[in-house]
This record gives sequence, C-alpha cells and structure tokens, in this order.
Amino acid sequence: MDRTLVDFVKVLRTAELKVSPAETLDAMQCMDLVGYEDRLYLKNSLALVLAKNPEEKDTFEICFEKFFTAEKHKAIRNTSAEDQSNDDLFDDEADFQPDGKGEQSGSGGGQGGGQGTCPQEGGVLDTSLEATSELGILLTQGSRTEQTISMMEAGREVEVNQIVVFTQKGLFTRKIMDAMGLKGLQEEISELQKKGPAEEKALANQLKKARDELRERVRDYVEKQFFLHADETGKQLREELLKKVKLSNLEKRNFKDVQQVVYKMAKKLIAIHSKRRKTYKRGQLDIRKTLRNNMQYDGMFFDLRWKSKKVDRPKVMCVCDVSGSVSNYSRFLLMFLYSLSDILPKVRSFAFSSDLGEVTKLFEQSELEDAISRTMRDYGNGSTDYGRMLQDFKSHCMDDVNNKTTIIILGDARNNYGEPQDHILREMYDKAKRVIWLNPEPRSSWTVGDAEMKKYAPACHQTEVCHSLAHLERVVANLLKTVS
Amino acid sequence: MSAKNEKKLASVEVIQQNFEELNYICNLQIATAVFLAYHLDKPILIEGPPGVGKTELAKTAAEMLNLECIRLQCYEGLDESKAIYEWKYGKQLLYTQVLKETLGEILDGAKGLTESVTKLHEFGDIFFSDEFLEPRPLLKALRKEEGCVLLIDEVDKSDHEFESLLLEMLSDFQVSIPEIGTIKANEKRKPLVFLTSNNTREISDALKRRCLHLYIPFPDAALERRIVQARVPEISEKLRNQMVAFIQELRDMDLKKVPAISETIDWARTLILLHTESLDADLVRQTLNVILKFQEDIETAEAELQNVTNKAIKEA
Repeated sequence: MDRTLVDFVKVLRTAELKVSPAETLDAMQCMDLVGYEDRLYLKNSLALVLAKNPEEKDTFEICFEKFFTAEKHKAIRNTSAEDQSNDDLFDDEADFQPDGKGEQSGSGGGQGGGQGTCPQEGGVLDTSLEATSELGILLTQGSRTEQTISMMEAGREVEVNQIVVFTQKGLFTRKIMDAMGLKGLQEEISELQKKGPAEEKALANQLKKARDELRERVRDYVEKQFFLHADETGKQLREELLKKVKLSNLEKRNFKDVQQVVYKMAKKLIAIHSKRRKTYKRGQLDIRKTLRNNMQYDGMFFDLRWKSKKVDRPKVMCVCDVSGSVSNYSRFLLMFLYSLSDILPKVRSFAFSSDLGEVTKLFEQSELEDAISRTMRDYGNGSTDYGRMLQDFKSHCMDDVNNKTTIIILGDARNNYGEPQDHILREMYDKAKRVIWLNPEPRSSWTVGDAEMKKYAPACHQTEVCHSLAHLERVVANLLKTVS
Repeated sequence: MSAKNEKKLASVEVIQQNFEELNYICNLQIATAVFLAYHLDKPILIEGPPGVGKTELAKTAAEMLNLECIRLQCYEGLDESKAIYEWKYGKQLLYTQVLKETLGEILDGAKGLTESVTKLHEFGDIFFSDEFLEPRPLLKALRKEEGCVLLIDEVDKSDHEFESLLLEMLSDFQVSIPEIGTIKANEKRKPLVFLTSNNTREISDALKRRCLHLYIPFPDAALERRIVQARVPEISEKLRNQMVAFIQELRDMDLKKVPAISETIDWARTLILLHTESLDADLVRQTLNVILKFQEDIETAEAELQNVTNKAIKEA
C-alpha cells in the first residue's frame, strides 16, 4: 500500500502539487488510521493532508479520480469474469473489498502476494490439454485479478511510470508483454500449431485469442499510465525548452505557453522578493514602543525601538525597441515586468522604433496581451533610430529621472548608421541609479555593422545579452535585487 | 482527553452527529478533518470565504468536548509578548521595592561585591520564576492539563515573523522561554488547534506543511437549508426553502461580497421578526441590507430583484 501511495504522490507532484516528504509521511499515517475501505473517506482524508489550497484541492480531486479509478475499473471487470473463482481468491479479495460492491479504494490491493495463489486445478478450457508456458497457464487458468496483478508487476518492472511521450506507448506495451513471458507463450503456440491434431490447434487458437486480449488490456493500461505520468511531464519538458529557446524563434502558436511560463517565473520572483522588501530601514525613535519594551529593565533604555520607515519603492523605466528585429524580446520583457506589478508597481514603459511613445497608460487600462499587441501595432513599424529615441526621451521624461530610477533599454543598438546621440545616454547614466542595456544579439556582433553598442556600452551600468526567457528571468531577478 | 471525549471522536459519523446536536451542521470533509486532527495530533488550518463558520467550528468543537476554548485573535504587529508570555513588570518592580529592606538584611555581613553576589545567587532567579510570568494564549493552552481547544483566528492578518513563531508550537506543541526553558504540552492531552485564515495573503509553506488543510466553501442548497433549520428552528419550511434558494441565486451574481451563511441566518431571524410567511420582492428590498453589505451590491441586486425572487419562489 505504501508503494501505491508513493506512486500517487509522484503523480500529484507531476501535476504540480508541492507535496513534501513530510506530507507523504503524514498521508501514510493518515492511511493507517483511515484504512482504505471507504473511497470517499480516504479521498477526504488525503485531501486534507496533501492539498493545501483551493486550486490544489481541485487538482487533487482530478488526480485522485484518475489514479484510483483505473484500479476500480479492473476490480469490477474481474468480478464479472470470476464466476468459476475459487475460495482462495475470495479470501484475497475480501481483504480489500469487504462491501463486495467493487466500490473500493484499493489500488489493486495485495499487489505483492497475488501470484502465489494461482490455482493449479480448476481448468477453464474444455480441452484435456493444458498450457505449459508460464503466461499460458496464467491466461487459461488464472483469474482476471491475477492477470491484472501480473500485468502491473510487469509494468513496475519495466518502469512504465517513466513514460514521457506518446510514441513510447508501443514500446512499453511490448516491454510489459515481454516481461510477462510473451516469448514462452509464442513458442508454445507455434509448437502446438505444428503438431497438427485438432485438439492442440484449438488450444493454440484459444491461447492466441487470450494473448490478443491481453495485449489489448496492456495497451489500455499503458495508455492510462501515460495520461497519469506523462501528460504533465511532457508539459514540464516543453516548458524547460521554452525557457531556453531564442525568443525570436518562437512562433505565434507558442505564445500562450510562453505566457504561462512567464507568469510562473514571475510568481516565483514575487514570492522571493515580497518578503525581502519587508526589511525596513531604521527611522525615527518610537517612544511608545521603547518605553514598553524597556519596562522590563526598570525603565532604563537598553533596547531602543525605531519607527520603521519603508524603503521607497523602486522606479523602473523600460524603453523597448519594438521594430521587427527585436519586437519579440520586447513583448516578453514587458510581459515579465507587468506580471511583477505586485512588487514593481512603478513601471513606466516606452516603446519606439524611431519616435518614442509612452505606453504605461495602455498597460494599466487594458489586458496585458491587448496592450502588447497594440503597442506593437502603433510603434512597431519604421526603421530603428536610437538617436531619435534618446532625443525624445530627453525632451519628454529626463526630468522624471532621479537617483532612484532604473532605466532598462532593450534593443540591438542597430542604428542604421544614424547619429547615435550617445551623450544623452551619458546624461541618463549620470542622473539615474542604474542604466541597463539588454541586447538580444551575442556579444561578438555588438560592434559589427551598424551596431553602436561600442558607443553606448560605456554609458551603461550594465550590459547583458538577453535572448531567452532564462536570460530575462535572470535579468529581472537581478533588477529586483538591486532596486529594492 | 478523557475516555468520554475519546468516544465522542470515535468516528467521522459520530463527530458529525455530535456536531449536529450542537446545531453545527457540517459536511463529511469537516468531520473528517476534526477526526484526523485529533488522532494524528495535527492542527487544522481552515480557509474559506468569511462567514462560512470557520471560527464557529472551533467553538463548537470545544463545546462538544467540554473543553475550554482559548482564542488568539491575530492582527498586524502581534508578537510573542502578547501571544506566548510576558513578565509581570509591575509586580517585579513592586516586589523589588518591598524587598529592598529584606535584601539589606540578607546581604548583611557579606564582605565585598563578590560575596554579596554569591549570596544573591543562592536565591536563584526568583524574579523570573513562574509567579512573575503572565501566560498569554499559546502558553495557557500548553499548560492546560486536561487539554483544550486553541483557536488562532485569522492567521493571515499577522506578520510573517509571527507565523514562524507559531511553527514550534504547531509541530511539537512546545514553546521555549529563555528564562525558564521549554514548556511542553501534556503528552496525552495535546490541545486541539484550529487556525483560520481568510486568504488575504498566502500562508507560508512551512506553516501549511504542519497543518491539515481544510477548505470550507459556501454550502449547497440542501446543506444550507439544514443549517438554517438547525439555527433558526422556528422558521417555516416554505420560507426556509424560498430564502435559501434566493441566497443561492445571489451567490451566482457578480457581487463585491456575496452573502455567507452567517448572513443567511441573520436574514432568517429578521424575517421571523417581521412575521413573514412567504418571500415577495418588496419585503426582500426592505431587508436587503441584512444580506448585502455594500451599497453597490445592493444596487446590483435591486435591478434583478423581481426576477430572482420569482425564481426562488418557483424553485422552492
């Protein structure tokens, strides 16, 4: 039973429930206490221990149903197939099916000791011949339960829960069949067919039929395992991939996935940094608190208390190049920054290809996706002119820049051989707390062709290559560290 | 807990029944949570919208088990001196004043500082002993020999620091006081701990890990009818069905704060006071402020009032 529980926890984890080992132990205790006769009761109990917020409860519900129905299904089927069953088996069943309705939670209880009870007498076939291979015996004489148990054991042996992509389904089906002793059965069948007499042929046919039936069932079983284990694992793999891929190579159909990944990353960052912000700087003396705290020292002021003063929240100005070559990067940077609005409330954003425009309002008023696509539409065409952008910045918002402002510029600095106006950037550098330049191109090409990075770089506190989500995350995390 | 209480918590069904006798109607999940909390010695963290009976559950559990319910209301800035213990400064000061002369006598004949201090040491830390300790809720709960129900209300309102403070208490049922040492709960009769949260912020994983997590949602119509019946028995069946149907409709509307069970019960009492036999739109309009607590919600609801009332009457 413990093993089943651990498997179940694994399934929960792939479904992105954070289940700690301690909670697994709790769940085991809980199972000892509750037993597994009553399915609903078990579900309620495990939900209390393993799922710790409303969303997790929903996921838990789905996983529980999927994981334990598979077992239930089999239990019902085997009762119908068991008209000629023996006492031995009934005892075995009674252990986990006391109400006899098949409404049991049992994850195929008694997986361990099934095979030993295989009855040697009590033939299923009318023929006087007996199958001799191991699998043949099981198929002709064993009950449905035993076959299932044997199948699941084989499944464990070949580690079917490691299945990742759907193309592996066939492979695992075959592996399980092999592990169950398919080879022996095949040999027996072909031997029987060679011999000729009708009786033996009949047995061979029977075995063949049983084999095909078993294959069907194994396929079914693998399918279910795939939905339990791989669906989510595959998703995780894809997400990992998305984090590393070059943003400009992403296609439209991937945007949705990427957005989810961005939200997830942002959530993680929020969790880390919202706590950090709590450390206050010490401010004025708090007389009331000090008095109260020092009463224990007979009114002598040993332990001074301060009125906490919150650190000013950082101001971030984000200037994004939205011309064709780098628009994708800007899209995701903006997405990232606005997903962080909980801890970065004062983001002002600007977009340009030649003329600079502020898009902060747009992002405040409309949905993120809308805002992004509208920004791209309004500012995205035209050839890039960094000099013009810097001039615009100077005339519009240089006054708002102070020593708490962090300015992020995202662009490839390809200026089409125009006037770079790098002295304005220098001015920004002097006024702002930090100027960070994110460039999606590799460092080696920063000075090639019409790129002006060579001139801009000295006027930045920091320059970074930034062409994947992983990079973006690192940059934003660093940003949060330095601005707060 | 005594054998009697052991019996009261024997199984989920028994718990459900006992709660029902005390007019607390609960679903299987809630009863299971109480059952597990008692048998696994784990605190329950209860989450859910306001007014679904989170605090009430703890109180009812205390009543059922005949134990004292010790309540710690959390708020921003709550710290250990208010949650665990505090020294009685006044008493300490007073005693030192009174004992000044006695001190003189004791120290009489001692030569030099070292000798006086040694003499004083013989008396131990009298001023930091139990007599000068003011136990706050958490410490009180641990010291109850016969066990108790500890209700830590609205944990989400407290600071992160306080949450960490609770961890020792929740996992090991003990607190450490530097001057005295570690105080542990009675091994056999640990307090039954309930924490409630309104989800205004995410509770830390460390705390969640140590608790059973119970989410109480709004009840479905059948359960709510039973709750109203238990709490306001004098209400007629017809009216009860109508008002529950009405409330259920309201919960589907886009409101700032949807009515909870506590509001349903208040409303039932109001309707009884007004000698109502059956719902009608006018009456609902007049009493709407009992169930809806925001002006804009009332306005939203009023627009749909006739429809919803008719629907509710038809359904019931």
